[in-house]
Amino acid sequence: MSSVRFVLACLCAMVAAIVLPASAQLGTDQPPYITMTLEAETPNPAAGSEVTLAFVSRPKPTWHGYWKNPGDAGIETSVAWTLPDGVTAGPLEYPVPQRLIIGGLMNYIYEGEFAQFATLSIPAGLAPGTRIPVAAKVDYLVCTDEICVPETANVSTVLTVGDGAVASDARARFDAWRAKMPKPLGSDATFEVVQATGAQRMFRLAVPYPADASAIDPYFYPATGDVIDMAAPQSAARDGDMLVIETIAAEGAPERIEGVLAIGNGRGLSLAATPGTVAAVEGGADFAWGAALLAFGGAILGGLILNVMPCVFPILSLKALSLAKSGASEAGARRDALAYTAGVVLVCVALGAVLLGLRAGGAAAGWAFQLQDPRVILFLLLLVTAIALNLAGLFEIATPGAVNKLSASGAGGSFMTGALAAFIATPCTGPFMGVALGAALVLPWPAALAIFAGLGLGLALPFLLLGFVPALRRRLPKPGPWMDTFRKALSVPMFLTALALAWVLGRQAGVDGMTIGIGAALLFALGLWWTGRRQGRGANGAWVPGAALAAVALVAVGTVTRAPAQAMSPAVLGAQPFTEARLEELRAQGKPVFAYFTADWCVTCKVNEKAAIETDRVAKAFGDGGVAVLVGDWTDGNPELGRFIERHNRAGVPLYLWYAPGEQGPRVLPQVLTPGMLTDLVTT
Amino acid sequence: MKRMIIASVAAAAAFAIPSSAQVSNGSQATNFRLTDANGNNVALSDFKGKLVVLEWHNPGCPFVVKHYKSGNMQKTQNAVTSAGGVWLTINSGAPGKQGHMNGAEATKLLADQNAAPTHYLLDPRGIVGKGYDAKTTPHMYVINPAGALVYQGAIDDKPTANVADIAGARNHVLAAVEEVRAGKPVSVATSRAYGCTVKYPDS
Repeated sequence: MSSVRFVLACLCAMVAAIVLPASAQLGTDQPPYITMTLEAETPNPAAGSEVTLAFVSRPKPTWHGYWKNPGDAGIETSVAWTLPDGVTAGPLEYPVPQRLIIGGLMNYIYEGEFAQFATLSIPAGLAPGTRIPVAAKVDYLVCTDEICVPETANVSTVLTVGDGAVASDARARFDAWRAKMPKPLGSDATFEVVQATGAQRMFRLAVPYPADASAIDPYFYPATGDVIDMAAPQSAARDGDMLVIETIAAEGAPERIEGVLAIGNGRGLSLAATPGTVAAVEGGADFAWGAALLAFGGAILGGLILNVMPCVFPILSLKALSLAKSGASEAGARRDALAYTAGVVLVCVALGAVLLGLRAGGAAAGWAFQLQDPRVILFLLLLVTAIALNLAGLFEIATPGAVNKLSASGAGGSFMTGALAAFIATPCTGPFMGVALGAALVLPWPAALAIFAGLGLGLALPFLLLGFVPALRRRLPKPGPWMDTFRKALSVPMFLTALALAWVLGRQAGVDGMTIGIGAALLFALGLWWTGRRQGRGANGAWVPGAALAAVALVAVGTVTRAPAQAMSPAVLGAQPFTEARLEELRAQGKPVFAYFTADWCVTCKVNEKAAIETDRVAKAFGDGGVAVLVGDWTDGNPELGRFIERHNRAGVPLYLWYAPGEQGPRVLPQVLTPGMLTDLVTT
Repeated sequence: MKRMIIASVAAAAAFAIPSSAQVSNGSQATNFRLTDANGNNVALSDFKGKLVVLEWHNPGCPFVVKHYKSGNMQKTQNAVTSAGGVWLTINSGAPGKQGHMNGAEATKLLADQNAAPTHYLLDPRGIVGKGYDAKTTPHMYVINPAGALVYQGAIDDKPTANVADIAGARNHVLAAVEEVRAGKPVSVATSRAYGCTVKYPDS
């Protein structure tokens, strides 16, 4: 059987190899495995300008094309142009590739449609209407997981010299392809090859990359094959404004390397690196159990601290007091403590697992990611309000089954209390634990989950100790009437938590969302108050009004939506988002304009913003001079901004432009700014 | 089947080096033992004192086809073996994958293509291939009579599947063999191998 299959596969490949290049030209019954077309962004380029050409490849299902560096095998695509005299074509530009490992060998590939660009220069002085026939013979390799076929495509198009206008549909199509091209990083990276254990040499690459910019599953694609062992896994670690990639080095000893750093969602940055010293980053590259244990210890400590947070402390205190009050048996106390711990750890690990899953799926999620959704915030607001009102004595929780069985005893109740404490604790973890948990996410997933579990363990630790150490339990104050006062006092931090949540809701969903949220909370409170009154009278079905109004309040949860994101850093210099129309408008008003272009992944940009643009001196000078500030955010590689940037002879950010009133064009400022440079603009 | 298992076990025994090891020029070529197309056990150490060329092979790969259909690989083989050198063609294709062959199939192919390696060796588990870090078909290695590796990489400097490119290409293997015989250092000791991936078993 296998030999039959072998013969067939063998025959197919041989036939394909011999017949295909010819049939691709003749268009007979054997189609090529990649259908290639040549498109120009405009069919009427202006004389003396450049026009982008796209080689659009459509591989058949299960087939893939190759990046410039094909990986451990394969060949680079080559283009032979046939062009009229004076017309020249630039090198082939490739979109960010994907990885495919087959039998331990690395392939850098494209599945599905992809476009490679080439820039064509049209000489000046050609009369409008001049025909420019463009033809290219493209040799490339196309493979499945099993077989490879070299193909040749002969593609052509005819351009006519015109005004260079680009049709909107062509613009949209090209912009979609352009979005997949790597963006120039703008600053140089550093690499080092170090001798590791035995004969193995490790390759480390340090890429300047802002600490707060997201990078999902970063991977370095080397432009040549002699730099790294391409099939070896790469580890990435963040060290401040540096992203360090570590993997096994190849035999070569290059003087300078180039490549593309993929940062997730098909985005990538093209960069060049020169030799230098690159220190290993703790916990990431050299994954050591020591570092993981340290992080685990840190997580336990962090969890412990969480116990005194306003959102957790009241729950824990009451739980502890109930334990003291009940005078439960040794066994009962232990069972309670264990159930509570299980609840806390389970919720922490579950949140961590969902987070890791989301990130693996490509979402840019961070810790407390669930708090990015205003609906979750509103739900928490209602929950916390209810807890606060309960603490304040507005109503009692007598019926079993509800999540907030704060003073209930029994293992089930303890488990639910623990789960609730962990869930409510997340808003408080953000500022303290964000960085540490972010670091956890670059660890292998079992270690990362262990750290989340550590956080839960820390959170549960005080109660766990109370359960297992009777001496501690005896030290708890004797129950008495003061407990009621204490409980009511504890409602204050809970109300404060609700206030904080309302503020967050306002930030996320705007004033309207916040009003809906507070309205829903009021409605819910009314229902609970009513319930409390009926409880006081001993009425049957005391919970009916509370439950009904709670349902209405929950409907509100569904109605809040995230308000559109504000323009970035609106407070800084009163900056407005950059558009060319806005720029023209401001210039028509005779205002001096400072336009700057930035991206979250650009370190130079961030440094300039902190050290020069966002300083008080500059703010004052710009304010006195009536300078309008426009900011273009190129984080997602917006093609319109990209074109504007290119028109100023820059491949990417940073770009700083100064439009003085009355001057024809902008002054392009240096890429490293000082406050003095900016204030001088206004005064001179 | 039984023969294959024996060959694999033999190869595994001969190879105690890690599978992802990189092989460096100038170091002693690691010994190995495989079964050839006729069922004989062949070890690298059988050829002490002789120049040895290793060629990784997959008959279905268009890049291999380029060099066999044109006669370029056969010509290179003859140039090596006629002057007392040894040519070992190794197939590391896993069963069920493109290019995997049993002994009978290999013998027939060699006859059909008029190819004349000293031995055609079967490495269905990819142990020798991974030991030598062979990545493509073809992937070529030259071992000098002292047993040191002196060349690894492509057959020539034209990484295409086009037969017409052979005429103007520098045959790195022939050049290395001639330099070894003339007692000179190998001028191009490494190049980037080009071709299809070696069809190793899915690990």
